[in-house]
Amino acid sequence: MHGRRILITGIGSYSGTELARRLEADLEVEYVAGLDTRKPRIQLEKTEFIEADIRSPTLLKLLPQTDVDTVVHNQIVRQPGPQLSARAMHDINVIGSLQLLAACEKTPTIRAIVIRGSAGIYGAEPAAPQFFTEEMSRLYPLRTRFQRDVGEIENYFETYSRRHPHVTCTMLRYQSTIGPSVDTQVTRYLSLPVVPTYLGFDPRMQFIHEQDAVDAFVAAVKRPVRGAVNVAAEGTMGLTRMIRLAGKLSLPLLGPAFNPTVTAARRVGLFSFSPDFRRLLRYGRGVDVSRLIEEVGFRPAYTMEEAVADYVATQQGRRMALTVRQAVAAR
Amino acid sequence: MSTDRPSRTRTRTRGAGPDPATATGAAARGPDAPPPRGGAPRRGRHAATAPVPLGPALAFLRDVRAGLDAGSNPIAALAGATAGLPRDVRDGLDAAVRRMSGNYHEDEWGFDEEFTESVYPLLETMYDRWWRVQAEGVRNVPAHGRALLVANHAGILPWDATMMGVAMLREHPLPRYPRFLVLNWAFELPYVGSTIRKVGGVPASPYNAMRLLEQEQLVAVFPEGVKGTSKDFKDRYRLQRFGRGGFVELALRTGSPIVPVAVVGSEEIYPKVGELPLLARLTGAPFVPVTPTFPLLGPLGAVPLPSKWRIEFCDPIDVSEYGSDAAEDRALVFELSERVRDTIQQKLYENLVKRGSAFV
Repeated sequence: MHGRRILITGIGSYSGTELARRLEADLEVEYVAGLDTRKPRIQLEKTEFIEADIRSPTLLKLLPQTDVDTVVHNQIVRQPGPQLSARAMHDINVIGSLQLLAACEKTPTIRAIVIRGSAGIYGAEPAAPQFFTEEMSRLYPLRTRFQRDVGEIENYFETYSRRHPHVTCTMLRYQSTIGPSVDTQVTRYLSLPVVPTYLGFDPRMQFIHEQDAVDAFVAAVKRPVRGAVNVAAEGTMGLTRMIRLAGKLSLPLLGPAFNPTVTAARRVGLFSFSPDFRRLLRYGRGVDVSRLIEEVGFRPAYTMEEAVADYVATQQGRRMALTVRQAVAAR
Repeated sequence: MSTDRPSRTRTRTRGAGPDPATATGAAARGPDAPPPRGGAPRRGRHAATAPVPLGPALAFLRDVRAGLDAGSNPIAALAGATAGLPRDVRDGLDAAVRRMSGNYHEDEWGFDEEFTESVYPLLETMYDRWWRVQAEGVRNVPAHGRALLVANHAGILPWDATMMGVAMLREHPLPRYPRFLVLNWAFELPYVGSTIRKVGGVPASPYNAMRLLEQEQLVAVFPEGVKGTSKDFKDRYRLQRFGRGGFVELALRTGSPIVPVAVVGSEEIYPKVGELPLLARLTGAPFVPVTPTFPLLGPLGAVPLPSKWRIEFCDPIDVSEYGSDAAEDRALVFELSERVRDTIQQKLYENLVKRGSAFV
């Protein structure tokens, strides 16, 4: 019996490397290939590293040669960084996905495609359903560029899946990841010395612990289901409480002053928040994870509260929450 | 009506482990415990003579100062210095410090039971003294499991919802916190939205109501919505249209009993005589009312008039016999919606008669 043959894009990221590491240790998996311009984070034992840009047409030749049955698309960039302009991000996300799908068309062996998408498609709205289920992605207009990109990507994969009924397309809608070893907008935000917030707003936040993020990914690759699946920790937490648990001081800014302030901060190189993250800081977002639990069969090990606690416990530096506890204990 | 207040159920599940503030606080009080409340404070010579307990206050400030000098941050310094204070003050400060360090619980909706309890005494005063609320039939509300409270809505600000909540907590033998479906606009406002969420409000979306009911919560809805709160004083106690009967669909889909609630008194708290449509358009508010005191007296106009209130919780209507597919049956939905509306309207008239004069 042949094992699974899997190709992972974006293997140079934390989640890509971790996924490959987990899959190559799996007995059911015969072959793992990783595609990226960056090398994997750690030395991988059996994974074949294919150095190529997802945007380049060489993918059309490379992918059919690998004879894979599963493609894991893990190269959807969530925020423009210092080395990555918004333009390049759009290219990687949209053009990259198109190239990948074109290459999939030429690879007849493919049976499943698993995409690490984003729960950002739901947006952050003041009076939204407090827990978005998978069919609610069209409730509100797509307001930011990233949302429109994700919307476009989802459309491509939906069309592909309609035209190839024998291929199972899983769109994983991830909430942001939090944890000691990942570098996401959330962890960058919480590591600021003073965290800016919207005055008078205490949005409900929901993330997923980095280990659960990888475990959910593995579970979805091993048991792909058709359509979208939300991936997040169970429960939500108010931003105020999260900041307090992290022992941070918040800097509440009046609504209209928030954008100019973060823009100025970006100019001087302090930090930059994507428009999506800014909306999240104002209105928050929660998603329903029953499909992940019931159909994919994976229940996150960390609740939202435990995920934050784990992140906080591993942070270095000044922690107000702890000093308070010490002060109370010393009394 | 019983006068003693039943102890409220505590469904709170605090964060992991015992509460550090109270646990260590009790231990620290052990050997040289300060005298019982009202007695002379532990330290401070001034206290024995001064009518105001200046001593503890000064000692407290000294300790805060010492804590700050020792290099702790302000909150830790506050926490460390509370030992010499009278117990009430100390407990309050301890609680504040605990909350400042994030040690409190919110459920997945953002409901914060501790916060709700802390504003409860104020609301109870409004209930007892200001509006002298008489509640009837509170036992008609199921003590556990899903249920839908459906009430008339009046009085510009949602005091009627608040008082229904107080009635549930005070008069019910097994008190429980209702969750309210709140006008979406409120969640765009700073402070308003976050406070409403803390006391159990959620945006008025059927998805939210469904999930709450599936979690066996008690959900309060006001099908009249803004049409109810914005009606003129001359139209008082005339029920407006009940939306499209969405609440009936909810009840049918989830098999929740409907408890109609009639609230008398909320119509007189802000007698609305007009509107300022331009201001409403500028602020995005659903409407801006004109009352005898607003906007004439400015913020004072927000003080509600002390009308006399009656709240009647009617017999529950069990809809489980129809099955969840009946939610698609428009005729049935409208019929049930009208039945609930008629019940509330009739009870409003009955209670108006029972109440007599509106203010005394």
